[in-house]
This record gives sequence, structure tokens and C-alpha cells, in this order.
Amino acid sequence: MVSYIIRRLLYAIPTILGVLLITFILFNLIPGDPSYDIAGKSASAETIAEIRRELGFDKPRFLDTEALSQGRIAAAFDSQFFNHFRNTLTLNFPRSLTSHEPIWDEIKSRAPASLTLAAPMFIGLIATSIAIALVVAFARGSWVDTILVFICVVGMSIPMLSYILFGQHYLAYELGWFPILGYESGMQAFKYIALPCLLGIASGLGSYVRFYRTVMLDEMRSDYVRTAFAKGLSSPRVLFKHVLKNAMIPIITTLVLSIPFLFLGSLLLERFFSIPGMGSYFLDAFNSRDFPVINAMVFTTSLLYVLGQLVTDICYALVDPRISLR
Amino acid sequence: MSMKNPLILTPVFLLVVLFAGCGGDDQDQASGKMVRYLSLGAKVRGMDPMDIGDTTSSSVASQIFESLYQYHYLKRPYELIPCLAEDFPTGEDQLTYTFKLRPGVVFADDPCFTATQGKGRQLVAADFIYAWKRIADVKNISKNWWIFEDHIVGLDEFRDYTGRLKAGENVDYMRPVEGLQAPDDFTLVVTLKRPWPQILYLLAHLPTAPVAREAVQYYGKSIHNHPVGTGPYMLKDWKRGNKIVMVRNPRFRQEFYPVEGSPGDREAGLLEDAGKVLPFVDEARWQVVEEDQPRWLIFMRGQLDASGIPKDFYNRAIDPSRQLRSEMKDKGIRLQIFRDPSTYWYGFNMEDPVVGTNKPLRQAMSMAINRPEYVEIFTNNRAEVAQGVIPPLFKEYDPEVINPNCQYNPERARELLKEAVEVHGGPLPTITISTPGTDTLSRQMGEYVTLAMDNIGLKVKIDYMDWPSFQDRIKTKSSQVFQMGWVADYPDPENFMQLFYSKNVSPGPNNFNYRNQAFDTLYEKAKAMPDSNERRRIYHQMENIIRDDCPAIFLVHGVAFVLHYNWLKNYKPHVFGYGLIKYQRIDVAARQKSVGR
Repeated sequence: MVSYIIRRLLYAIPTILGVLLITFILFNLIPGDPSYDIAGKSASAETIAEIRRELGFDKPRFLDTEALSQGRIAAAFDSQFFNHFRNTLTLNFPRSLTSHEPIWDEIKSRAPASLTLAAPMFIGLIATSIAIALVVAFARGSWVDTILVFICVVGMSIPMLSYILFGQHYLAYELGWFPILGYESGMQAFKYIALPCLLGIASGLGSYVRFYRTVMLDEMRSDYVRTAFAKGLSSPRVLFKHVLKNAMIPIITTLVLSIPFLFLGSLLLERFFSIPGMGSYFLDAFNSRDFPVINAMVFTTSLLYVLGQLVTDICYALVDPRISLR
Repeated sequence: MSMKNPLILTPVFLLVVLFAGCGGDDQDQASGKMVRYLSLGAKVRGMDPMDIGDTTSSSVASQIFESLYQYHYLKRPYELIPCLAEDFPTGEDQLTYTFKLRPGVVFADDPCFTATQGKGRQLVAADFIYAWKRIADVKNISKNWWIFEDHIVGLDEFRDYTGRLKAGENVDYMRPVEGLQAPDDFTLVVTLKRPWPQILYLLAHLPTAPVAREAVQYYGKSIHNHPVGTGPYMLKDWKRGNKIVMVRNPRFRQEFYPVEGSPGDREAGLLEDAGKVLPFVDEARWQVVEEDQPRWLIFMRGQLDASGIPKDFYNRAIDPSRQLRSEMKDKGIRLQIFRDPSTYWYGFNMEDPVVGTNKPLRQAMSMAINRPEYVEIFTNNRAEVAQGVIPPLFKEYDPEVINPNCQYNPERARELLKEAVEVHGGPLPTITISTPGTDTLSRQMGEYVTLAMDNIGLKVKIDYMDWPSFQDRIKTKSSQVFQMGWVADYPDPENFMQLFYSKNVSPGPNNFNYRNQAFDTLYEKAKAMPDSNERRRIYHQMENIIRDDCPAIFLVHGVAFVLHYNWLKNYKPHVFGYGLIKYQRIDVAARQKSVGR
């Protein structure tokens, strides 16, 4: 297994380099120069040019061929492309162009807020949807199955924004069950994340339940389930000991691969409930073309994703004895 | 197969019960403390005056920092009064200004003042020179160099010097600048290259506030997180993207509430605190709320003292006669309506070969839009139809002028379009309008303009994009027509006229890329003149040139509607001033009675 992990980590290197290359190309393809914003609304052309120079936007994009022809190797590689690679791979992210804060400091202060919301929401969503899926699968073909599937389809059709607007207005404002918005760290956080968490679970249930229902039904039709019932095993025992265990492969896939994205936060929920998380940080960075921030976020997420894939593979081997990592 | 085990649903019930039990009020008990609750529609980027270029950051940081001048809180038209300056400057010509600083002003206590064990020191003239040199320093990438660019003797040279250095740390701030002198601690002498009558307005601008060198050296690159000013409040807590809390600065100099105001202020109760020591409020708390619905809901629950009215909630608050609805009045809410110093338009890129050379086309497009209808549909009547670029708030605005290009006249527009075809030398191509927004409102506006142009026989295509893409489009002169606006920084029409000056073409602020020799000559003349009837006449001439040349389809001037609870005392909207919380007072008992706290 160790050699498998090492091999997978080595495979990750070209993936990460590819992500960096794509990020750089996107930076250059997407229109929008942060210098205009930084210079202020009445700035002259000279001021904008000076700011571009200070930010290094006037450097050659890939290679300074003139410096190269003169034999100045270090100067030749002092380009936007190589600086982008060098800074990212050495984790030397510059400060944010808009807030001037060190990017890692911002990530460290915002990631807990995002995770405080996203982790319980994710766990709640998975637990609830698997529980409902088991019920639905167990009662397949009955009125319970029909009604729940109908509710799932309706739930999937309603946009997330509608859940938020409804929940915030009726549950928080009209009924006063929850704070309308806000966020505090520590135990106080649970008071503030309760409603967004519930809304996140409610909005995601439809699609998750349908997916897990399909997975469960596939298993329920298997020979071993029929055999188990024929042997007189109780329904809970069949469901929890046999069906759930065999359905773990697709569940693990969605579960583990979703974890890196928890880091990115939930954009809509964070905005509407004023939760200072990563979602709004990423959106603001994109809207102001804060490339250092976008780059750091994309790089970190891709690293987590690659690690998530590795963990998924390891989990496969742990839950399914037919799979071995070589 | 029937459901055998209902306990399967237990996790769902547990979650609901656990979370539902956590509801309740989300604000601390005020316990008699006078707290002002505010919201921020965007995040504060930083609190270093040098780097503040947005209204959100300004509105917060201006409670901490002060400038040489400030606007009178109550008087209208807007009037400057001394703030950190003792009086208005002296000077025999229009080139040298001598400012005397108010004695007894100290910086707020802060650990950066290591020599005095954290006790804030006296403000001196050198602090202004240091702050302005920081703006000039290229390495600082300040958003506010436009304020001083090409105005003060030697400051542009100082900027050039910083540009030649390799690293910011090497900048010598002791390097003299001829036009900035401090003969003693309380005297600041500024020498200009040429007359600059707008200087006092800009010296009331937050970025020109003095900064303590000790703070910059102590906090280094994190100075934007550690504001140390001379103002009435000090930063207590700042959770980025979430909330900001400020408390009263115990070492704030003695300042008093104004004893006179505008007609009607006394009747409105705005002079009840005349002559009292400022500030009144003990603590100011800002909550970042970027979406309309939550902001409106927390206002309606009394968790904000004042709020604008989001478009979708307008009809819930205001009746068709533009009066506050009775249920809002019953809650103790009051309405304030006031004019914004803003103008909104569809601008033409005058370097575009189609629209830039075809005046009949521009005029036709301008006449195709029914502005009163536009105001009704898109602003809930919270705007005034524009006849030019200068808004009605300015004394230079001439209410008698009717601009024929701003009148809805589709018949005349169709005739002009025929002329436009001749000028173009053939059928007109589809005109592309760049719009900085992809939201529903932007698309509705786009549909409206498309229909209006279709009505006169012109095909247009709306290109929706986000703000950075839009900026890129106009700054690189690659747009054809663009939707934009301008909110004045100070009450001088020069701030609008610079937008049409040929030396300011893109990427400068003249996004129209408009060039007119006659306009330029008048601009250069008026820019150097102090306020007078003669200057007002020149501004009228300049505006007439623009009206006739039609480099823009002038649409509307903004009118703001603001709601506030009656427990918020001394609340008078101010469109240029910042740092106004010091004048406001909270009737704590009335608030507690109203919201049950």
C-alpha cells in the first residue's frame, strides 16, 4: 500500500502543475486588470502604468527573450509565468491585492467559519439522506416511497435561493426561532449556523436521497439480500449490516471527494447570513480579479482534491476486501 | 415491504431539535450604553487612509481619522469648516497656502507610541507631510495619488524618486519636498504649481488625513488593520467580512455640536444638542450585510438604526404618494429624502468609428429613451430626469435648461436616424452597449433600452459583463456604448467636467474619450478659478457644449430615500461628509421600549 501511495503522490505532481498552468492561462484570458481598481476612479494613465509596473504586470508573459539572448538567465526567467509557478510551489503567496492581507492569514481566519457551517451541514445531509434513502429503498413501491420520491423531485426543483429567502423571512424574522444573520466564533457559532445549516440540508436532500435510493435499490435487488431475508434475518439487520456496507463504495466516493470543497464554503449561505467564510472571500477575489487570492484558493483546493482521491482509494480497500491497492 | 423501524429518522429529529433550541436575539444587550448599530453593504478593505478609495471603507475609517477640513453637519448648501486646521488658510496668492493646526490634538493611545508607553502624542504638521508623501510613494500603490498629482511643487518629483528605487523600504521620507514645509509644529505651508481652488475640498477628503509615522513603522504592512487617528472613535474589534466595533476615543479633543443649521433644522429637533460636547455615542457597531433581504429584516426588527430601502421592499415602505406607510410610522420609523450628487448615463466611446463620428446617431439614441418612464420602472421614482451632467444638488445646476436631446421624441429620433445613415454612408450596424452587471435589474434595463432603440429602428446588442471586464472594456477604449455613472467626490462641478477633458481620456477618467478644444480651454480656465459668477457662467458654457455634442445619453440623477428609527437623534443625511457618527445620539430608553430590550 505504501508504494501505491507514493506512486499516487508522484502522479499528483503533473496534475498540480497542470492546474497551475490552467490558472495562469485563465488569468490571462479573463478580461479585467486589477490595476484600474487599485488606481482609483480618477487616476491618470501614468498612474495606472506605474501601478502595473509595481505589480509586475508589465513583465514578459512567459520569457524575456531579449535578456535570454544577452545571456542574463535569471532576468530571462523573471516573467509572469515563472514567477507564478515559483511563488505557488514555494507557497510564497503575495498579499491580497484588495485587502493587502497575507493570503494564508485570511484563509486561516475564514476557513473555520466555512467549516463550522459546511461540516455539520455536510454530515447532517449525508446522515439524513442515507437514513431516508434506506427507508425509501426498504419501502420501495409503496405509498411512502412514492410520496418521498415526489417530495425529493419537488425539493430538487426549488432553487437554493428560495430556501434561503423563505427560511430567513419566516423561520428567523416572522417566527424568531433563529437569528436573522451574523456569526460568532466558538460555541456561539452554533446559534448562528443553525438556520443556514438546516436550509443547506433541506435544499440538498432531494438530490442526495434520490442518489442514495438508487444505490440502495441496486443492492436491495441483489441475490445476497434475498438470501439474507430467506434465512430469516430481520430488516434492520439486512439493511444496516449487509445493504449499507455494500453500498459504501459510491457513498465513499461522493463523501470523500466532497470534503475538499467544504473548504471553499457555501457562497449563497455565507452571503445571506453574513458568515465570514471562504465562499464570499473567493467571490470577492474573483469580482476584483484578485489573482493571488484566486491562485492560492485554486491551488489549495486542487491539493486537497488530490489527497481526497487518495483517501477515497484507501477507503475502498478498507471497506471492500475485493479491492487491494498495489 | 413496509417500514419496520421509525428510529431510522432519529438523526433528522435530533438535528432539528438541536438547532431549533439555539434561536434567539443575535445582539448583545445594550445595558444602557449608547450604541449605534449600522450595516455595511460591502466589506471594508482596509483602514489606512492612503489606501482608501471606496465609500464603505471611508464611512468606517472616517470615524477614526480626521482631515484638515470637514463639512458643516447641518448647513446646506454644503459648507466647509475647519477640522484639524484652526482656521481657513492664509496666503497672498493662489499658490501658497499656510495652514495653522488646531492645538491640543493628539493621536489615540496605541502601543505603537513606544516612547510614551502607548500614550498618543501631539499631532504636528510633519504628520501631514508624511501622510501625503506616503500617497506619492509609488511603492505604496496608493489609490489616491490622483488627489495630488501635478499640484504640489516637488511632490511629483518625490514620486519619480520612489519609482526609481528597487524596494519600498529604501524610500527616504526625510527627503525634502519643496512644496510641503513645516516651519514649526503647528504650521503647514503648501506651495502649488498652479492655482488649485478645489484644494480645500480635497483636504476634507479622508485620504489626506494625517498618519502617525510611529504607527506605520510599528505595524508595517499590517497598518491597514491598525488605524491610529485623532478622531472621536478607536477600533476595538474587526472581524474581516463580519463586523467592526469602535469605541469612544477618551483623548478626543473638545468638539461641539453645531449651534446653527439650515432652515427647518430647529423645528426638526436637529439643534436640541447645540453646543454640547461630541461625540454622544459610546460605541458604533457595523455588521456586514451584503444582501438586501437580510439587511431589510434586521432593520425591521430594530437591529439597525437606519437603512436605505431595497428596490424589492420599496412598496412595503412607501405608498404611491411617496409617503411613508402608516405601519412603518407606527413602528417609529421616519423617512428622509435627499438628492445624491450623482448622474447616470449611457456613454459613447467617441473614438469608435460608428458612434464617435455620428452626432445624429448619438442624438437619436438619446431621444429614443423615455426618461420619466425609465425613472418609474427602474428606480421606484427615486431619481430625477437628467438634462445634462451637473446634478440638481449643485448650485451650478440650471433648472431652467431643457436639453432637447434628453426629451423623449421618437419621431425626431427616427428623422435623426435617417441623417445618421447618410453620415455613416450606408445602413447602420448593430450597436453594442456594454453593461456592468449580469443581474436581473441589469438585464431588465438592457431589455428596456433594446426596445427603445428598436422603436426608432436601431438594432442594439447588450453585452452584460462583470465590473472588472467592463472596466477593461472602457479603459482599453474597446467599448462602443457603455452604461455608467458618477458620484461626485466634492461639491464642485469640476469633478464632473474632468470626465470630458481631453487630457483625461481612457484609461484616465474621460471614458468617453471626448475631445473638444473649446471645452478644454474653458475647463482649464474654470479649474483655476475660485468660485464666482464668472466661473458658474463658464461651467454653463461647458455643459452646453457637452449637451450639444452628446457624448452621452444622460439619464437620471439619484434621489436617496433613507429610513431611520425615531430613537436615532440628530440624524441628517450628508452626501459628502464622513465621520458623522459623532453628531448622532441614541435615545436608549426609546430603543429599549420599541424593540423590547
